[in-house]
Amino acid sequence: MNSHQVISLRNLTPSTYIIRLEKKDFTFKTGQYITLGYSGSIDRREYSIYSAEQDDYIEVLIKEVEDGLLSKKLKRCKPGDKLDIDGAFGHFSLKADEVKNKKFLFISTGTGISPIHSFIHTYPEIDYTLLHGIRHKEEAYESESYDSNRYILCTSGEDTGDFNGRVTEYLLKNPVSPDTICYLCGNCHMIYEAYDILEKQGIKLGPIHTEVYF
Amino acid sequence: MKTIAFKTLGCRLNQYETDALASKFQNNAYKLVDFDEEADVYVINSCTVTHQSDHKSRNFINQVTKRHKDSVLVVTGCMADNAKEELESRNEINYVLENDNKSALFSLVEAHFNGEIKHSDQLDKDRFAYGSTEKGFHTRSMIKIQDGCDNFCTFCIIPSVRGRAKSRPFQAIIDNIKSVIDEGAKEVIITGVNIGRYEFEDYKFDDLIEAILNLDGDFRLRISSLEPDGFGDKFLGLLSHPKMTPHLHLCLQSGSDEVLLRMRRMYTIKTFKNTVEKVRAIRPDFNFTTDIIIGFPGESETDFTDSCDMIQNMEFGHVHTFKYSIRKGTRAERMDDQVPERLKTKRSEVLRGIAEESKLKYRSQFVGKTQRVLVENINGNVAKGYGEHYIPVQFEAENLKKNTFYDVTIKRIVTDKDILLIGELI
Repeated sequence: MNSHQVISLRNLTPSTYIIRLEKKDFTFKTGQYITLGYSGSIDRREYSIYSAEQDDYIEVLIKEVEDGLLSKKLKRCKPGDKLDIDGAFGHFSLKADEVKNKKFLFISTGTGISPIHSFIHTYPEIDYTLLHGIRHKEEAYESESYDSNRYILCTSGEDTGDFNGRVTEYLLKNPVSPDTICYLCGNCHMIYEAYDILEKQGIKLGPIHTEVYF
Repeated sequence: MKTIAFKTLGCRLNQYETDALASKFQNNAYKLVDFDEEADVYVINSCTVTHQSDHKSRNFINQVTKRHKDSVLVVTGCMADNAKEELESRNEINYVLENDNKSALFSLVEAHFNGEIKHSDQLDKDRFAYGSTEKGFHTRSMIKIQDGCDNFCTFCIIPSVRGRAKSRPFQAIIDNIKSVIDEGAKEVIITGVNIGRYEFEDYKFDDLIEAILNLDGDFRLRISSLEPDGFGDKFLGLLSHPKMTPHLHLCLQSGSDEVLLRMRRMYTIKTFKNTVEKVRAIRPDFNFTTDIIIGFPGESETDFTDSCDMIQNMEFGHVHTFKYSIRKGTRAERMDDQVPERLKTKRSEVLRGIAEESKLKYRSQFVGKTQRVLVENINGNVAKGYGEHYIPVQFEAENLKKNTFYDVTIKRIVTDKDILLIGELI
C-alpha cells in the first residue's frame, strides 16, 4: 500500500467528482481498479482508474453513495491530503494486439464509464463505439472528451441523449456485428441483459469482457 | 528429542505447507506426534475462508491452551493474517506467524528454544522457501507453484490474507518435481491459490503443465483446484496426456449467471458447461468436482434452483458446499439482501442431498471397470487409496505396499460414511 497526495478534485455533478492523485511510480494496465482510503484508515473502497496509462497522474471517478462511508469523506478531501492506494487489480483489460486491428463496442452505465475512459485515452487510435447509459444528461461525465461520432448517449430518464432508453434497448434496435469485441462495465442487471442480447446477436463468448459495478 | 504436533485446516496449499514444515522439523531431530498427544510445540495452520473455518481454528487453539499450558503454541495460516491483533492479544499463544513468514517457522521455534525472540522482520519472507515434503502427512506429493490471488471475488477474503498473485520460478518447480519423483513420489499434485493464473517470464500455466507431463518417471499428475476462467485449448488438450489424471476441481460457486456476476466471477454458466462438455467429449468419465456457495447475498429461490440443476446436469463427482458467511472487508459484506441463516441451512441440506445423488451416480459407472489405485493406507490386508479419477477405492491383497500403484477392478459400491468403491486386485 502506497500513500499518494491529492492534487485536485473536480466536481462533475452535485454527487459525482474526480480525484486526481500524484502517480509516483504507480503502474497499471488500463481497465484495472485500485482500492482507495485515507492513509491509516481501514475503510477502503474499490474504484476503477479513470486516467490513461501514460498520464502522469492517477484519476478516479467517484459517485457519492447515499449512506456511503468513504465516498462522502473523499468528497471533502483537499489538495495535499494523503490517500492510500492498493493495486492495481483486475483483469478487465484490453489486449494490445487487438487494439490495433479490431473494432470495439464499449457499453457502460453510470460511473461504469470510468475504465472505458481510461481505455480510450490510453489508446486514442482505437476503433470504438461507446454506449453510455444514464438517467439524466448531467450524468454524461466529460462526454466532450470522446469522439462525438463514436459516442452514443442513452438516457432513460429523459429524452436528452442520442437515444431515449436503456443501453439494452439500444442494442436490441441496433444489432452488433459479430466480429466486434465487447467490453461491458456497469450495474449487474445491465451486464446480465446486455450479455444475453449480444450472445443472441452472434457475438462469440470469448470476446465479451465484463466488470460489475454494484 | 523435542516433539511437535500440527493441525492443518483448509486448503491443499495449507496441507502442502504443513507437510513441508513437518518434514523440516523431522529432518532436524524433532519427533512428529499426533495433535492429541503431548508435544513440546503445537502448530495450528489455520484457515479463515468461512466463519466456520474461523470457529474450527479457534477451537483447536483453545484445546491446546487448555490442555498443554507449558507447550509452545504457534498459530499461522490465513487466520493469523486476518485476526492478527486478536490472536496476538492472547498471552497463551506464543507466536502468531503470518503467511508471509510461515516458511520460517523452524527458525522461529529454534530461536525460542535458544532463548531468543525473533521479530517478524528477522524472518524469511519467501513464500516459496519450503523444503521437501517427504516426511509430511500425505503419500501424494504436493508441489506449490503459485501463491496469492488478484481476482478479488466479492465474497472472498483470500486476496487480503494470501496477498497478490505470485508465481514460483519455472525451473524451481521443475527441479522440485524431478527431485520428488527421484525420491519415489508416484503422484504429484500442483497446488496454489489460483494456479490457472500461473505466469513466470514467458511460461503460462499450460506451458508449465506440459513441461511437467513431459518429465520422465512413473508418476501421474493431478491438478488441484482451478478457476474456470483463463485456460484455453492447449490446456484442454493436455488433459488427454497419459500422465494426467482425469480429474479437475473446477470451482463453480453458483449455477446462476446473475449471482456469478455479483460474485465477480469471470465466467458464465455457458462457458463452464462448454468446458465440461469439451473435456467429456474426449473422456466421458472425466471427474469434475466443484465448490458451491449457498446463500450469497441476493440469492433467490430461482438462483438456488439453478445451482441445484447445475449439480444434477453436470454430474459432478463431488460437490463441496459452503454456506456463505460474511468476511470483513470484502465487497459482499456491504451488499444488501443478505440471506437469513435458517434459509441457508435449509438450502444446504437440499443441495447436499442432490450432490450425494450425483456423486453416487458418477461413481457407480466405475463398477466393472479398472482403476489404477495409489495406496495410501494399509490395515492388515486391506488397502485404501485413490484411483486416477480421484475416487476412493478399497481392496484386499497380501504384501501390500504404500505409495505403490495397483490395478484394481471395481466390483461394488458401499455407501457408508463416504461412497467407497470396493475392488479386486487384477
